[in-house]
Amino acid sequence: MLTGQLRAQLGREVVYLAPEEIGRAAIRYFAQAIGADDPAYTSGDDPEAPPTMICETNQYANLPADADGYPGHGWHLDVPGARLVRGGNAYEFHQPARASDVLTVTWRLESMTERVTGGGTPMLVVLSTATYRNQRAELLAVNTETLIYLGGGA
Amino acid sequence: MTAVGERLPELRRTITLPDMIAYAGATWDWHRLHYDPDYLAGRGLTRPVVDGQLFGALLAELVRGWAGPGATLTRLHLRFAALVFAGETIVATGEVVEVDGATAILTLKVTVADDGRVAVHPAGATVVLVAP
Repeated sequence: MLTGQLRAQLGREVVYLAPEEIGRAAIRYFAQAIGADDPAYTSGDDPEAPPTMICETNQYANLPADADGYPGHGWHLDVPGARLVRGGNAYEFHQPARASDVLTVTWRLESMTERVTGGGTPMLVVLSTATYRNQRAELLAVNTETLIYLGGGA
Repeated sequence: MTAVGERLPELRRTITLPDMIAYAGATWDWHRLHYDPDYLAGRGLTRPVVDGQLFGALLAELVRGWAGPGATLTRLHLRFAALVFAGETIVATGEVVEVDGATAILTLKVTVADDGRVAVHPAGATVVLVAP
């Protein structure tokens, strides 16, 4: 599954600069959507965002939606005959993002590894990192994302 | 005093389609998998799929709710084990597995209440607690 064309993309980086600050309304909306009522998300001059919010939202990317309706970052890897599924995420939280923060997000394609599932299906495990900083270049969070391309018509 | 073996109060949530639409809007993620019947039918699915990213947010809230104000969630990891569908009820649970000074290491899990299906596992978190 790991072709030379795919291998050539290892180490690729894409940087997104958010077009505006996160904003109080966006934080309140996210908190409401996940059923969180922590006053830290709505009070004070510059409320903090729920920890995973900046890693889950596509606000910063400012991209048009693709054919599936997804307007977020993607590598658009060509893995013939494979089905893409989400594997998981590992988050490091360095300091809370706040309403006034303007995000710069750097995505990096870290690794691609061929494996086989317990049922014998070949798969390609793609590891990426996203690093989130604010307008003062302060590190807010790092998101290590695992995507899995399942081959063999799985 | 936090001790190894302490269990977090579970977080139980029924995720309705309106909840999913709210989450899609709040995250700027309008993937058709989460609401479009024609798109789902073309993939052999009968119900909208809950965005797995939501479970990260719910696990973070589970940990923060248990740890209380002033505590700091520093790490969270989760692996998706099964799809969850609109209308299902999930239960997020956690347990303290290590305590080192003010830092607690937790294992976390999300299951579907309706049939016991494991949706998120393994998962875990690191949280820095405040003295009582």
